[in-house]
Amino acid sequence: MWRLRTVGHKARGPGIRSEEFKLKRREREKVLRQARRDRHLVSKRLLLHDYDEEEGDEEHTRASVKPASSEQVVEIMCKLQTGGEDKATALRSLRNVLRSPEVHVAFIRLENSVPVLVGLLSGSDAQCRVEAAKCLHQLSHSPCPNVGLACLPATPYLLTYLSGQRGKFTELCLYTLGNLCAESEPVRERLQAQGIVMALVSCIQNHGGSLAVLEAVAFTLSQLLQAREGASKVAPLVLTLGLIPHLVAGLTPDPEFGIGAAIECAWCLHYLASCEVDKSELISQGVVSRCSSLLITLEETVAQGDLQEGLELLIWPLVRCLGNLLASSACENTEECVRDTRVLSALCGFSHRVLQMHPALTKETLWVVNNLTADSPAWCSALLSFGLLPGLLQLLPLSLGINCMVLRIVGNVAHKGSVFSLMLTQGGLLPPLCATLKMADPEVVTLSLEVLYLLVTSSQQAGEEFVKQNGQSVLEMIQYSSDEALRQRAAAIVDLLPQAAADER
Amino acid sequence: MLHCDPAEPEGDVSGSPVDSVRVRGTSSPFTFTPRRIQILGDHELFEDGDIHRHLYLQDLFATVTEDSPTPKVSEFRCHIAGCSLMFSSLDGYEQHYSTLHQHVCSTCRRCFPSRHLLDIHILEWHDSFFQVMAEKQSMYQCLVEGCPSKFSSSNERKDHLIRTHSYPPDFRFDRPRKNKRPKRRKGVVHTDLMDTSEEGAADSGTVLDSWATTHHTHHCEQRQSHPADTGTPTQYSRRVPSSVCFGQGSVRGFRGRREKK
Repeated sequence: MWRLRTVGHKARGPGIRSEEFKLKRREREKVLRQARRDRHLVSKRLLLHDYDEEEGDEEHTRASVKPASSEQVVEIMCKLQTGGEDKATALRSLRNVLRSPEVHVAFIRLENSVPVLVGLLSGSDAQCRVEAAKCLHQLSHSPCPNVGLACLPATPYLLTYLSGQRGKFTELCLYTLGNLCAESEPVRERLQAQGIVMALVSCIQNHGGSLAVLEAVAFTLSQLLQAREGASKVAPLVLTLGLIPHLVAGLTPDPEFGIGAAIECAWCLHYLASCEVDKSELISQGVVSRCSSLLITLEETVAQGDLQEGLELLIWPLVRCLGNLLASSACENTEECVRDTRVLSALCGFSHRVLQMHPALTKETLWVVNNLTADSPAWCSALLSFGLLPGLLQLLPLSLGINCMVLRIVGNVAHKGSVFSLMLTQGGLLPPLCATLKMADPEVVTLSLEVLYLLVTSSQQAGEEFVKQNGQSVLEMIQYSSDEALRQRAAAIVDLLPQAAADER
Repeated sequence: MLHCDPAEPEGDVSGSPVDSVRVRGTSSPFTFTPRRIQILGDHELFEDGDIHRHLYLQDLFATVTEDSPTPKVSEFRCHIAGCSLMFSSLDGYEQHYSTLHQHVCSTCRRCFPSRHLLDIHILEWHDSFFQVMAEKQSMYQCLVEGCPSKFSSSNERKDHLIRTHSYPPDFRFDRPRKNKRPKRRKGVVHTDLMDTSEEGAADSGTVLDSWATTHHTHHCEQRQSHPADTGTPTQYSRRVPSSVCFGQGSVRGFRGRREKK
């Protein structure tokens, strides 16, 4: 049920060796990080058609190995234009040739090539229509931006076909559109003018039951939403056109289909929750409760030792969506927004389970715990009564900002009053806190001092315990720091410590 | 109800540095308030997750263990201004601290391996009554902790140390006080933190190494006398500027604690 079914768009063949794959992945990762910094993080998806199975995979691999030349393109286009012959066959060979990205540019430069292709896409021959769409899909995956632009004349037809009945063909059109969306702002503007969001809504309505179509719709939508102008132009439309219930319904992993559709829906919801729009619509449509209940279910599954590859692809956006909705002004009261307290245990559970593979996800789950506990004594006492404190304290020595988040969380708890502070002290917070006071990161030291201050001002026992831990020497040392803000804080706490106990030393 | 300021919707995850500036000058330096944090889509916190998604979209996602940035334990730093050495473990840090910053004389900034030796040093070097008293009665305590013997001069003590405790004749922490030196030293760059001898000033920079060597040579003797001091801090051969007053020990000098602040 939780497996990430490798649907048709998994281009990774078994032939690729793992070392080679790792190298490629590492290079790609570097490029992606740079792209993200440049705010142009886009990805395209290549659908390896299930149709290909009919033709046999052998032919397919052979074709991709054979270097395609632009002469071949000219030849095929001649055949297509002169008419006669079997156009569908010609289109099939065109698609094979187009598997080499180098040919894409040659193709669009060829006079009349795109109009001919669009003519076949819009023609009455059903088979030609499908083959032309596949050719366009290949073109839409091109790394060259000009190719995408050249395909624009096809978009009205692709959008029209979304309301068709045939699932596979609809998917093909959707992924092609999704790839084109990724290209550039002018393309997205054009598509929006042609009503792409509305077309996506009616597409989901027409293909109510199909998770594959839902996945494709959500993929295309996520491409629109994550674009720079997505927040201002697309998100409001998505909220008003009634897509949210479909996305929420999509957050249901299917035993047959796997979690692919849920992943895409969850990312769409994350993009919506992380931009500056009115979140009340999202909350009233039940996004918070759906996200949290799915997280609880997922954690239970993972706790049973059933951690499937790729599950983090679903956990990640759910966590983010929850975190941002809890922080929004639309969420007046976190206790009312999230009614199931098990979500707290689930989040803390994830923070440990994903730590080795995805420490960044650990930090994000802790961020959500921070948002839950910030204004709510109820969540703070849940944290303590569920016995989640020891697990959090284990994370205190870790870097990558994890310790800061944990300190914020214990700070939230300590801030709720002396009973809470006392429980933190009794829960063993002071020994690890003495260690974080010695850390290099000034932010960690600052937060540690803040937490310590909350503890010693609200309970006598904390001060005594801290002195017992030989914590005073750490504070004295901080008073010799070059950072004035740290010195002030440390000096203030030293004055608060129980003097009798301090003098005994 | 606390929300992130809508004016800075990025959600200041780092938080505190900004706060501390804002509140400085008010009565309390403490600024922590619980707050829910909103994080916009392009915040750096989201980077790894976004990359992971796009690797998945590009069919390059995989559980490649070797590449994942396994979480590291945070580094530790000596907070003493002018020192700021970094340590990857708490142990290394504590070793450094106890060696260099724990038993420091606030007057002349010499550093001692034990509290006992520091106390004797302060008494003999910086207590103005000591010399007067020493003329009337035996005031020089034995350097070995727990040995009650007292002597009328440091030379007598030296003999005692050599004969009774098998100390080396050149025991590093038993240098007799030379009257002129403390004055001359004031304001002069102290090159020898550990060494109270004159020749120590010559080998500046490698002072700690040389100390460590001596320390090694007389390891057994020192063990006897200072069971707490077992470290060999060879890796921390770093000097601290004289302008800096540091360490827990410094508050136990004759200048009062309040005054120091």
